[in-house]
Amino acid sequence: MRSPFQSEPEAFRSVLAVLLALLAIVLAAVLGPAWLALAVLAVMLVGLVIRATQLRIRKQRLDRPLKSAPPHVGSAADRRVLVVANDTLGELALLGEVERLASVPHTHVLMLAPALVSSGARLTGAVDGPVDQARVRLAAVLDRVGQGLDIAGDISEAEPLQAVEDAFATFAPDEVIVCTRRKRTRSGLEPRLAALVRERFAVPVRHLVFDPGLGAREPDRETEARYRREFDDLFARKSTLVTLAGVGILASLVMSMAALVRSGESASPQPVVSQAAATAPVSAVIALKIIPSSKPGPDGKVHDAFTKTEFAVSVGRPVQLRIDNTDSQPHSITAPEAGVNITAMPGIHTYTMLVTTPGRFQWFCVYPCDSEANGWAMRHAGYMSGYITAS
Amino acid sequence: MFSAGSATHEHAVHLSPQPWRWGHPRVLVEYPDEAGGLAIASALRFAGYAVSVCPGPPGRGQCPLVGPDGCAPAHDADLVVCGLGYEREVAREVLRALRTRCPDVPLVVAVPSEVDDDLRELLQGCHELPSQASPEQIVDAVQGLLGPPAQERPSGA
Repeated sequence: MRSPFQSEPEAFRSVLAVLLALLAIVLAAVLGPAWLALAVLAVMLVGLVIRATQLRIRKQRLDRPLKSAPPHVGSAADRRVLVVANDTLGELALLGEVERLASVPHTHVLMLAPALVSSGARLTGAVDGPVDQARVRLAAVLDRVGQGLDIAGDISEAEPLQAVEDAFATFAPDEVIVCTRRKRTRSGLEPRLAALVRERFAVPVRHLVFDPGLGAREPDRETEARYRREFDDLFARKSTLVTLAGVGILASLVMSMAALVRSGESASPQPVVSQAAATAPVSAVIALKIIPSSKPGPDGKVHDAFTKTEFAVSVGRPVQLRIDNTDSQPHSITAPEAGVNITAMPGIHTYTMLVTTPGRFQWFCVYPCDSEANGWAMRHAGYMSGYITAS
Repeated sequence: MFSAGSATHEHAVHLSPQPWRWGHPRVLVEYPDEAGGLAIASALRFAGYAVSVCPGPPGRGQCPLVGPDGCAPAHDADLVVCGLGYEREVAREVLRALRTRCPDVPLVVAVPSEVDDDLRELLQGCHELPSQASPEQIVDAVQGLLGPPAQERPSGA
């Protein structure tokens, strides 16, 4: 993956896009319900995934292998050989092979050491370490090769395949030799690099595989195919993990949104407490108020109070309560045994009370109130508590 | 780039993937056999031409040249060497598309020993070579049509 900060315009566009995305999320969080910010984030993530997929498909289309090569440079006798190596640069067998090639008259050798930069480091632009490592390895080899031979060296911070393409533009090789280890390592060139170079460039490509102590060998086509399969398997595993992580993030976002929507619904006013009331005719309409610090108590203090705390209702017959809650916070008429739970929001609203079981039931306000008297009114009938008598 | 003993670092140039990464004159070689295609490409390179080698449709699905997108390497080529084996209808489709979609691009065609009427009609205006033509014969034909290219060294080479 290319770093989005490789050039100033790219960095500016990337920072601007991130700022706009953050602004949209913050605006959604401030102006809309809480779940809207998550929804905006989810939409942006989905958009990002779609865009990344589009770019990948486009790159694959552009990268459709078609072997090509620039014209030969020099006289017909000249031969230009590109040797691509990094972690194998210290191998004596490689040194011997390079000297053997360069000792042939009219042969020019370019040793290319692509820096082994991880995707993460490439993204952040932290490539100095791998570039220095490649430079040191290459300089050590060039110091050891025989004098008088036409051997040059080059390092590149580009991806290995891109580095080879760059070398074709500047060196125009007639042959490429790719040197790797037998097994893929984190700090080594991909063994399948040779197959990729062979796929893209219309020149002979040799693959030298180095095993410590065993020298260099050229793998057969079956082994090359296995390198390709191993890489494809690894890529498929990585893609599956990334996809699963993406699905997990999206699923958690959707679940968070659903939870927020549901909690928003339960926090909204509940005008109808007893659902059966929807079908039965209303038997009476009772008006009452909730007034904080309004009713004197036996302790000499004034307490929060409902203006009506005794309700006589008929079993199965809904009663409408027109409650004027003058407080700034909600209060409730809650009688679990009677199946009543009315939350009275600030302001004037009409609620329905329906009791289906005969009896005398105590109700109370579940919201913290009468705080100046430690909630005294919540425990005393006639204040923020009372009785419902159903007959 | 640095030579033995020196250590001057130079940043590599990033090149976007392009159908033709090299300058003119460009020759597209359509040849199904990998080794044969490489031999022709090598001969053409040493004669001074930039080359691309396409193995044709078999194993790669439909040739883009006969599809709606067309084929950028064919459109941008200065000459196409056609060696797909024109006994087969699928190869003739590609040749037909080349004739109609890239009418200004000269074609050097390796023709089979027996040419039927359909193929004879398709080959009108093409430079014909025997199907077993050597890379040197192909280079001669290309030079005859395009002229010898001017030698130009790539930057830094």
